[in-house]
Amino acid sequence: MTTAEKVAALTGTEVQELETEFVVAPEHHFALAELLQSEGYTFYITVAATHFAGEVPNKKNPEGSPETFQVATVLRKPEPGASSFACWRVELAAGEPIDSLVPLFEGADWQGREQFDLVGVVFKNHPDLRRLMMPEDWEGHPLRRDYAIETAHPPWR
Amino acid sequence: MAVDGKNDSLTYTNPAMDLMARLPGVDIFTSTVDRLLTWGSSNSLWMFPMATSCCGIEFMASATARVDIDRMGTIVRGSPRQGDVMVVAGTITVKMAPRVKKLWDQMPEPKWCVAMGSCAISGDFYRDIYSVIPGIDTVVPVDIYVPGCPPNPEQLMAGLMRLQEKMRAQQRGEWTEPEIRPETEKMNTQPDIRRLLDDERDEGISQAQYDGSCSLGMHGNEHRRHDQVGNPVGVDREQGVEALILRAQAHAQAMEALRQEAAQEFAAAQAAKEAKAKAAAEAKAAAAAKAAAEAEAAAADDDASVAGDAADEAPAGDGETP
Repeated sequence: MTTAEKVAALTGTEVQELETEFVVAPEHHFALAELLQSEGYTFYITVAATHFAGEVPNKKNPEGSPETFQVATVLRKPEPGASSFACWRVELAAGEPIDSLVPLFEGADWQGREQFDLVGVVFKNHPDLRRLMMPEDWEGHPLRRDYAIETAHPPWR
Repeated sequence: MAVDGKNDSLTYTNPAMDLMARLPGVDIFTSTVDRLLTWGSSNSLWMFPMATSCCGIEFMASATARVDIDRMGTIVRGSPRQGDVMVVAGTITVKMAPRVKKLWDQMPEPKWCVAMGSCAISGDFYRDIYSVIPGIDTVVPVDIYVPGCPPNPEQLMAGLMRLQEKMRAQQRGEWTEPEIRPETEKMNTQPDIRRLLDDERDEGISQAQYDGSCSLGMHGNEHRRHDQVGNPVGVDREQGVEALILRAQAHAQAMEALRQEAAQEFAAAQAAKEAKAKAAAEAKAAAAAKAAAEAEAAAADDDASVAGDAADEAPAGDGETP
């Protein structure tokens, strides 16, 4: 049984190959990372969160679309002579938290802090979820789509 | 001349200084010593590098063998306690600015500040970004501006020589013009917060900067108003994460409410548009029916003479066309 088949059995999605990004439900996120770590994907590459602002109903889109977040995680399987990647994506509704991978990978600590700081995704079970880049008492998350660049900031204290 | 009847020899608040001013020969001695001290300090400007980005590379290059800024006596020291000149080389962000001010406050007098490069002078093309301050002179007073993006090591050296000339002129008691802030790109709009010593600068900003330094724990932790996730002090970290989730959900609900409102507005607008279109179509249909009725009536009236008119008009039309 290949790793892709195991992943497909766990998540209930069709997975052709792990390097092509596939979408996973949020409840399978942590279990999938655990499975991949036991399969040899022991190197935590990155996590990247994206904000989708959603649309109010308009002429082009009469239904409208809700505000969502997407969190992409990349793991790497280091092997002598070659290496392979696993890349998956989790779609979150607005305000929905996601499991942190810090219990599995120590390197997920500051990366989760960065995504929390800039995009505003809340990571559950994170040992130290603080802002990383912006000042400590900053309000808002700058990389959200609805964050205006002209947003007034306090007089740099 | 005495003011308010007081002795005009009391020109200093410190009586020792007053005594020195009245004793013969002391002024010559102190001015000589002052000249000596100025000569020494102007030829041993120890630099404290506040290098945050690419200007710091040129700053490092100024210490290499080709330029060798050490021959002016400007040694780079890594501690603010040992520095005379703070060279701000690079972009200063909102998070960095209170730290810069904190380090500036730790430097002993006399001290000078050199703004090196466009970003330190005015923020330049990062000026409009939410996290960049529009020039370091909104936080600390700047003596010398070194323009460039980044400036050469030679330009930095020229700036330091300008600083030396300024120090000597001030020792001689001459008036030295304040440095003119060089115009860089995107200088068309004034920043919201004016620079130090500007008449239009708000009075509360210095106090706000002091309060911000307090919030960093600079003057004791009792001034710290929020912890680092923005919750009030005293909230447990576990509760903090829960509070974060709750806050995110509240924000999402608020956004969803706004979206519902917009959707209702859109639906109302669509309904109004459809009603208007329907009314217009009805009016058009009524007008068409009326016109048809009129046409029928006219046709009924003119029905008898149509054949004779047509027979008369046809040859006349042929005659007009060549």
